[in-house]
Amino acid sequence: MAIAQTFEAEWKAARLKGLTDIAGVDFAGPISESRTVAAPPVIEISEDARLVIAARDGNRAAFGELYAKYARVVHGILLTRVPPADVDDLVHDVFLHAMRKLGSLREAAAFAGWLAAIARNRAADFHRRSREHVELKDDVAEAGPPHAEPHAILAMIQTLPDAYSETLILRLVEGLTGPEIAARTGLTPGSVRVNLHRGMEQLRAKLGQSEKP
Amino acid sequence: MNDEKKTKDDYLWDGSGEPDPEIQRLESALGRFRHNPDLHPAPVWPETAAAPHRTGWRAWLTFPRLAPALIMAALVLAEVLFLRWPRGPQPINPSISSWQVSRLAGSPLIGENRIAESGRLAIGQMLVTDASSRANITVGKIGEVEVEPNSRVRLVQARMTENRLALDRGTIHALISAPPRLFFVDTPSAVAVDLGCAYTLQVDDQGVGLLRVTFGWVEFETHGQQSLIPSGAAAITKPGIGPGTPFFEDASDALKTALEKLDFENLDPQSRAAALHTILAEARKRDGFTLLNLLRTYRGMSEPERALIYDRLAALIPPPPGVSREPMVRGDNYMVGLWWDLMGVGHPKKK
Repeated sequence: MAIAQTFEAEWKAARLKGLTDIAGVDFAGPISESRTVAAPPVIEISEDARLVIAARDGNRAAFGELYAKYARVVHGILLTRVPPADVDDLVHDVFLHAMRKLGSLREAAAFAGWLAAIARNRAADFHRRSREHVELKDDVAEAGPPHAEPHAILAMIQTLPDAYSETLILRLVEGLTGPEIAARTGLTPGSVRVNLHRGMEQLRAKLGQSEKP
Repeated sequence: MNDEKKTKDDYLWDGSGEPDPEIQRLESALGRFRHNPDLHPAPVWPETAAAPHRTGWRAWLTFPRLAPALIMAALVLAEVLFLRWPRGPQPINPSISSWQVSRLAGSPLIGENRIAESGRLAIGQMLVTDASSRANITVGKIGEVEVEPNSRVRLVQARMTENRLALDRGTIHALISAPPRLFFVDTPSAVAVDLGCAYTLQVDDQGVGLLRVTFGWVEFETHGQQSLIPSGAAAITKPGIGPGTPFFEDASDALKTALEKLDFENLDPQSRAAALHTILAEARKRDGFTLLNLLRTYRGMSEPERALIYDRLAALIPPPPGVSREPMVRGDNYMVGLWWDLMGVGHPKKK
């Protein structure tokens, strides 16, 4: 396979661009519920920073490692906000966007929060483009006995405040532990614990209501 | 907080402590929505020996705060030059039918004009890089294409619904973040159709193309033949024949060489059998994707050959319910689709 063996293609897709915007991601926006952003644990930061810097420098395997580490988080964040059937495509979009914009990330250690913000932004963009999905989600949330169907339970979680629903989905759907959620979203462990506790309380209340005759 | 409640909170927090039956029920019910790494695996990218070079926009990182100003200055200058300077025949409205081009190294040409720092590539114009020059094309709002040295790229179309380049020779790296089928690259023997992806495309002086996908999916198509190529995989295309069977880049050299022979050479029966034997013997579970593609009818495999491929694929990845040997050997493409889900490559973006 002469052409393949002599091929010198050097992937440079995640080129550093020196731009400071992150394509609509608003880090200065209001902090809702218990979404207090703080530095994740040191081990996670240094590992992420190493991978981000390597990916910026054209190391393709490094971006693959970041994908493997964060795919569940991005999936969970999106699942909090969009119909399950659309989540996989959007996960794909989020990582492509991240790959394009990696150069605009000034602090490599902030990758977790940055990627989560891209995912939330992408979900919002999805709804701007297809309002009908919002109506569908509301319909599903109101319909039928929620305890009977996984889709209905999911829809019920989606009706909780974002900070609670996101954390609960990362825990109950994606199977991440509280410390993992904190490390991979940029939230403090304390915030995650509060969000899990309050979110579960609200979910139990909704489940209880739905089971009443 | 009493002990029982604390224990249940511990289970919610990190899975330790006494399991909470209600949470377990929710985990069980909701697990079906979990990210599936088998269907959406992490990109597997082979390492390249070449060290990245710090040129063009990458060098701006040294002075990140200057970058926006430099970009604005370059854009303003480019626009002034573009609008004011007399040139040869131009499109009627170049601002909506041209793409921004930035010089990364050397002296790329647009038509016969050298690019100082940036310029615009209009429909029908050619961007040419010599052995020491490189350039970057901004594809509207959907992505970027980096043009390597010794390349010739032509802008064919720049519309909202169709963005099309032609790569006559050389190498490009494309990174497109858009719905599928908005970005196309024509090569002498096939069209690379973006399905939301990052990829590298090379065309040599004989018009032979090699497409390597680093993320997402690309379709390589011509005259009804199509190769869907996932991340980590590649496909060759040759003039007069079209795209060959996709293969993972980490497959053995023996498999890749045999596959190229099978796809593109006019082999005598003995050599053809030997090539197929090598492919089947070298195939790992991951190469089941290549074997499944060989079972597509337009690959032109005979029924005895298809039987051998089926048997090997079934040994590597047992067929799902609804897939059986005889129809597959006869050429049932529907069953190819049923088996696809087990290949661990997922599916291209839907929209």
